[in-house]
Amino acid sequence: MKSKKWLPLFVFMTIVAMLVGACAPAAVATPAPTTPAQVQKETVIVPQEVEKVVTATPPPSGPVTLTFWHGYNADTETPFLEKTVIPAFEAAHPNIKVQDVNIPYDQFHQKLLTAIAGGTAPDLARLDIIWTPEFGDMGALAPLDEVMSDFATYKDAVFPGPLSTNFIGGHYYGLPLDTNTRVLVYNKDVFSAAGIENPPATVDDFLADCAKIKALGANHWCFGDGGTYAWAVDPWIWSFGGAMTSPDYTTSTGYLNGAQTVAAYQFLKDGVDKGYIHPGIKGGGVDTWGLLGKGQIAMILEGPWFPPSFKSQFPDVKYGMALMPAGQGGSISVVGGEDIAMFQQSKNKEAAAEFIRFMLSLDTQLQMATVGQMPVLTETTSSENLAKLPDYFGIFLEQLKNAQARTPVSNWTRVEQILTDAGTAILNGKGTPQANLDDAVSKIDPLLPKPAQ
Amino acid sequence: MRLRPRIFKKSPVYVALIAGALVMIFPFIWMISSSLKPNLYVIEYPPQLIPSNPSLENFLEAWNANNFQQYFRNSAFVAITSTLLSVTISAMAAYAFARFKFPGQETTFYVLLGVLMVPNIIVIVPQFFLMKFLGLRNSLWGLVLIYTATSLSLNTFLLRGFFEQLPHELEEAVLIDGGSYLTIFANVILPLSTPALATVSIFSFMGFWDEFVMALTFIDDPAKRTLPIAIALFQGQHGTQWGLVFAASLIALIPIFIFFFGLQKYFVGGLTTGAFKG
Repeated sequence: MKSKKWLPLFVFMTIVAMLVGACAPAAVATPAPTTPAQVQKETVIVPQEVEKVVTATPPPSGPVTLTFWHGYNADTETPFLEKTVIPAFEAAHPNIKVQDVNIPYDQFHQKLLTAIAGGTAPDLARLDIIWTPEFGDMGALAPLDEVMSDFATYKDAVFPGPLSTNFIGGHYYGLPLDTNTRVLVYNKDVFSAAGIENPPATVDDFLADCAKIKALGANHWCFGDGGTYAWAVDPWIWSFGGAMTSPDYTTSTGYLNGAQTVAAYQFLKDGVDKGYIHPGIKGGGVDTWGLLGKGQIAMILEGPWFPPSFKSQFPDVKYGMALMPAGQGGSISVVGGEDIAMFQQSKNKEAAAEFIRFMLSLDTQLQMATVGQMPVLTETTSSENLAKLPDYFGIFLEQLKNAQARTPVSNWTRVEQILTDAGTAILNGKGTPQANLDDAVSKIDPLLPKPAQ
Repeated sequence: MRLRPRIFKKSPVYVALIAGALVMIFPFIWMISSSLKPNLYVIEYPPQLIPSNPSLENFLEAWNANNFQQYFRNSAFVAITSTLLSVTISAMAAYAFARFKFPGQETTFYVLLGVLMVPNIIVIVPQFFLMKFLGLRNSLWGLVLIYTATSLSLNTFLLRGFFEQLPHELEEAVLIDGGSYLTIFANVILPLSTPALATVSIFSFMGFWDEFVMALTFIDDPAKRTLPIAIALFQGQHGTQWGLVFAASLIALIPIFIFFFGLQKYFVGGLTTGAFKG
């Protein structure tokens, strides 16, 4: 057969294709080193454009359409944005139309990477705070401190924790848009059954309460969380006085494997071993809301989306909220939320800046609060403004005064994977906390930015 | 009285089959039951199969949610057009591969098969650039083009296997009576191949109707989105109303049901064909 001689080539091509395919997920999940270079190429002319726009302060003469990508939820937040917030902006700015695009959260990061590489990024996006350093570092975002002449006003008006996620390489690449943090949520019925009067204020109280809750029976747990990712373990590390990295984020040696951080992991490990902490934290995950509702888990850490959603599912369950139990480092929780950022590829930077200003105005921030978005402006904590916010925001705003952002570095996705794996190994008893954290430090340090000379 | 021993003898088979059927249908029943529960933010364990106060609220809310009906129409347009195009083109190609001898025939066919081995996700960035170059991003016709193109190799492969086992004599008879190859294709091959065509149509339609990654990547304009994206949007970052997700998924299943049951009598015959040839 004539075709025989093609067969080896065909087989070879197939194998190559399959090998490339097998490698693909890794390349997709963590941006390959080539991506930033490519992006840089796409955006290299833009800085000049920026200067042009900055000096030419008059607003755009012709009608301009801004694209704004976001992951607001589809049931309440997006309709509110589209029917109330954007129309108000367009009424105030007749020359600017805003086309918002709702993107599923799980695919948002991937879609942005593709769009940036393809030169089709939107003008603006609402980014999870853990993504801003990555996109800023690859040159995809416009430095707002250069593009917006009044940037300092906004910088000073927002909470410092959420703001810190926007600062990378000497520039601010975004502004916080909404924020959240985790506080302790406890089931009141379980507490009274165990004879506990008040939520634990310190880690020692927490352990004493755990002993009482465990006495209720084998299928009662004091605390539950979904795993050992940073969102779950950081509040404990910080409250124990530990840290992920040095304050300038250049090394984790002596911080992630320092005595306090080790103590925090030892506390979690002991908790799991004694049956205080639900074994789901070892990596299997757990339906914390469901078990809290059934009274099998007494305490969890949750964010401001919890009260309205939980109430609709478990209307009869009585729960209370308290600050993160304090350890040697105080009561410190983790900051979540979103930033608003402008892309270098945007051709309408002045109009985009106008939309950022609008989204950060007190009115808009208070309006978005009605659909559960916690404001980022410090002035919202004044008693007059606080009265306009849902009651349950109070405890979260209180905790936000002592809350930190997860390490804002461009390699965060990989750093967090190493952290999560180390935590899982510790809680499953594969090596001591110290040994696992030493190992993690040796892998994380090369991924951190080099110290400035 | 001979019936009883036979049933007795076969009963283990029935028990196994019923157990298998229950396992297969359980997620579906769970989906229906969840879709009838309003405000379901938590996946319950153990699942409660009979809702305490069932309501159709989720279905109404999903159907009337942002642009859902528009997305439904977009999906219907893309899936139906792509299925028609893909089945037509691959049937013609498969006929050529099955019946004609031409230079490079086997090679071309192997290359076509080689395409099957390349996972879609590898080529998504080049495809993205191609679509941008052609100006077909943010266009439903762009999706039709991509869907049709990516499905051709599998469909051609399946149909060629079927066409090859049709008897040559019929076609020779047509040629002797003065018919052309087009007559053979339209009046002999296609009518004889309904099982294979039905199978290929169903698989293609289901694939196009459910496709998520390419639709998400190539379409930025909310007005041009398809149904899988609308369903994914019901899953929030912090809390998901699962009742809504399941209700939306059930609505999305209706066209597949109609399509499947409409072609079912051909479909079962078609499944075995690939087993002998291809």
